[in-house]
Amino acid sequence: MSVRVHDLAGGYTAEVITGVAFDLEPGTICAVLGPNGGGKTTLFRALLGELPLRRGTVSLPARPAYVPQTDRTRLDFPVSALDVVLMGAYGRTPAWRRVARADRDAARATLERVGLGDRARRRFGALSGGQRQRVLIARALLQDSPVILLDEPLSGVDAASATRIEALFGELRDEGRVLLVATHDVEQARRWDRVVCLHGRQIAFGPPDETLTTDVLTRTYGGELVVLPGGERAIAVEHHRH
Amino acid sequence: MPAPFDTPFMQRALVEALLLAGLAGVLGSWIVLRRFAFFTHGVGTAAFPGLVVAGPAGVAPQLTALGAALVYAGGVEWLARTRRVASDAATGLMLVAALAIGVVLASDVFASGAGVDRLLFGSLIGLRDRDLWLTAAALGGALALELTLRRAWLARGFDPTTARALGVRVALADRALLLAVAVAAVVALDAVGALLVTAVLVIPAATVRLVAPSVPSLQLGTAALAAVESVTGLWLAYELNIGPGPAIAVLGGGVFAAVVAVTR
Amino acid sequence: MLGWLLDPFSGPLMQRALAEVIVVALACGPLGVWVLLYRQSYAAESISHAMLPGLVVAALAGAPLLLGATGGVLVAAAAIALAGRDERLGGDVGVAVAISALFGLGALLALSPDVPARLGELLFGDLLGVTGGDVAQAGALAAGVVAALALAHRRLALSAFDRAAAPSLGARPARWELALLALLAVCTVAAVRGLGNLLVVALIIAPAAAALNLAPRLPAALALSALLAALAGVLGLLASYRLNIAAGAAVALAAVGLFLASLMRPATARPRRRPVRS
Repeated sequence: MSVRVHDLAGGYTAEVITGVAFDLEPGTICAVLGPNGGGKTTLFRALLGELPLRRGTVSLPARPAYVPQTDRTRLDFPVSALDVVLMGAYGRTPAWRRVARADRDAARATLERVGLGDRARRRFGALSGGQRQRVLIARALLQDSPVILLDEPLSGVDAASATRIEALFGELRDEGRVLLVATHDVEQARRWDRVVCLHGRQIAFGPPDETLTTDVLTRTYGGELVVLPGGERAIAVEHHRH
Repeated sequence: MPAPFDTPFMQRALVEALLLAGLAGVLGSWIVLRRFAFFTHGVGTAAFPGLVVAGPAGVAPQLTALGAALVYAGGVEWLARTRRVASDAATGLMLVAALAIGVVLASDVFASGAGVDRLLFGSLIGLRDRDLWLTAAALGGALALELTLRRAWLARGFDPTTARALGVRVALADRALLLAVAVAAVVALDAVGALLVTAVLVIPAATVRLVAPSVPSLQLGTAALAAVESVTGLWLAYELNIGPGPAIAVLGGGVFAAVVAVTR
Repeated sequence: MLGWLLDPFSGPLMQRALAEVIVVALACGPLGVWVLLYRQSYAAESISHAMLPGLVVAALAGAPLLLGATGGVLVAAAAIALAGRDERLGGDVGVAVAISALFGLGALLALSPDVPARLGELLFGDLLGVTGGDVAQAGALAAGVVAALALAHRRLALSAFDRAAAPSLGARPARWELALLALLAVCTVAAVRGLGNLLVVALIIAPAAAALNLAPRLPAALALSALLAALAGVLGLLASYRLNIAAGAAVALAAVGLFLASLMRPATARPRRRPVRS
């Protein structure tokens, strides 16, 4: 039931990521750190089976659920929050059948779980950024996969939603799932179980307190690092690329 | 002059064709570089109801056509501002409405379908000196704008964000370009028809664009190719007894396809 | 009053026209919603314009219009796909060239013979001239489109709403975008007899745009679009009969009119403030 990746290399035209290897036991939250363009989203694509692999193996207990960055969804779509969550059940519903009663009930329950039970009928595009993110997470939860990939789930999210989401991550971990969370927030990464540092190639993998040394961080972010007074605390500065 | 260009109406058609080739060279190149092809087609199509009412109203068709085109452009902009419909859908809706209105008006104005065909696909006969003067004026205006605004048009097309930073008055220049393109479409209507203004204003420029290394070479090449295609198209239209628009479009399309195949 | 509404439809000619337009509307309406959600309005226009040579060849050869329409859209789709792929010009320009050239070819073929094809009917439709066979054909095609849309509904929704996550949820976007274009082609073929290739797009886009303005959720939008399209057909035929204007154009204007009417409803996007429940 674990996620195993060994010597993974892949990319569309050129090799975007190489040398990726990690094992994640069930019940783990793993941060994926790296600069923009460093390969975080590419790694997720590889885990989803959407990327041609040049080398290496990926072993997963089931197809992962995926929460992409929020700004990719269409805000003008005529769907309610509940409609979006229900999309998590589409994959297991044959084309000629209605979505199962059990799935509908589960969708409502999941929406409650992320704290949006009373917003079920609200138009998705009318929700705040943090609320939309929670809806997308609920959608992923409805897929009921033991592996969940989240691409920067907390960027641009208000503090209340962020706290709620992080608490939810803990619950999911306790359920025995594996969460891979791409993030820019090194502080956040320190709070979790494992971390993968990617900058094209894998720089490091392991528990955060062992792995997130200044040296590793510098090699991951290539000098975009700001070390706060106190020595060990570092915040990665996000660069805008053209 | 060889037949059929020995008749006065064909001679007028010839002059019009050469003037339009000039417009194709100057403005058609920008249409292709700045990707205004659909806008050009839209203006031509939107002008159709204006053309229908020009005869009964006793007004120059270019005037009513330009009026209709302005209503269309204003309508598209207004719809876009309501944010209730996407811009490509808004354009499609306005164009189909223009065509439908034109058809409804035309059934009152024209006894047979032939009149509508002329408006939609152009006509060899029926060009008056006034039309030639208007086209010449449009060409003159286009050349004047080209000389003054070409840097702005080039900067905006190449890199919109830095163009503004360079202090170039891009928004105004672009509006002028769109207006010039609209006027060019309007003066082309009588020759090629409302539905095929792209035949002369876009197709030759698109063809030359495939091989031209610079903007001036693009413009000169387009003018030359457009002239050849238009004159040949006139001859073909005469032989087949149809409007020039379809003939020029088919010729232009064939040349385009050939150049695409050869340069791939 | 009822007589004024029903009298026009007492004869077989108008009854057939009514049947044709309603059958076509039931397919164009929902399809149009997807066309708008996928932002494919240009594709809809392009396909219908560029199919003209197929229609003309069929008309001149005395072949069934359905055949010509099918051939026309296939050629059009192929030309547009090829033209759009060339990167040197930018998709728009190549497509515009392909459409203009094909459309011009259609007009040339139609106008040059000694007995020209009835170009006006091909361009603007011949709704009042449809036969029972035409209605049956349109009905079969429309039923196919509606059935396909029903089966593909969830996949289409996934691919349109969230292209990035769609594969992980069970739908590959590229496949469904192509499927939509294929259905668009079929629907165009079904509708072209009655509306003509220039006006078809009105029944595809306008009722759908109106429905998306009025309905808050997708299933309602799809149903409403079908209803509005059918309504446009009825209103258009009524206007055609009473005002003595071209039927296809009347239907197109009715559809656009319904869309403009839908704008009067205030936008639904703004969330209402509700008191917080304690």
